[in-house]
Amino acid sequence: MTEIQLVLTNPTGLHARPASQFVQTASKFKSKVKISAGGKQVDAKSILGVMTMGLRSGTAFTVTADGEDEVECVAALASLVESKFGEE
Amino acid sequence: MVGIVVVSHSAKVAEGIRELALQMAKPEQKIIAAGGMADGSIGTDAMRVSEAIVDAMTDAGVIVMVDLGSAVLSTDTALEILDENLRARVRIADAPILEGTIGAVVEASVGSPLEQVLATAEGAREMRKCL
Repeated sequence: MTEIQLVLTNPTGLHARPASQFVQTASKFKSKVKISAGGKQVDAKSILGVMTMGLRSGTAFTVTADGEDEVECVAALASLVESKFGEE
Repeated sequence: MVGIVVVSHSAKVAEGIRELALQMAKPEQKIIAAGGMADGSIGTDAMRVSEAIVDAMTDAGVIVMVDLGSAVLSTDTALEILDENLRARVRIADAPILEGTIGAVVEASVGSPLEQVLATAEGAREMRKCL
């Protein structure tokens, strides 16, 4: 299992287009991927789950991946968040 | 990749939802708006819907998103016009049209099968906004 803590620094937070980019990136990997924050956890491959988390800009959250490509998966998601989803 | 058809009484609503959904779509993804009547007035037109379904059709099938009441009836009529082979690959989502379309588009974009795209579209009914 690979885990990383990230902070959303893009203006939108994990809504709308960034949420879809996050789900699309997570779905490229075979590993099970979850995100958790504030005591809630959802499947990172579920757009409804990710949108329901309602993570705003400035929020810290944890990405956990479990599977054969977990390291690459977490790295790709971290890179997407750190790139601010191309918003700026 | 499952295609998406947006059926609204208003052409502007259907186009607007399509425009928004395209923000989340893959470049090759099919999202077709079928809003209003042929003359631009408010209503739903079974012929327009059936043409949109044909345009949106892929090997994976098509999900039709509908707004209110007769949008469902027009879509049912549109399905009757269609060839049986196509009809078997179409599902009407019982879902809020905007939220459901966004969910369906993202689910389809990752290559999910028809029934899973339908489930995500319909799952949008339960999505809370004000947490």
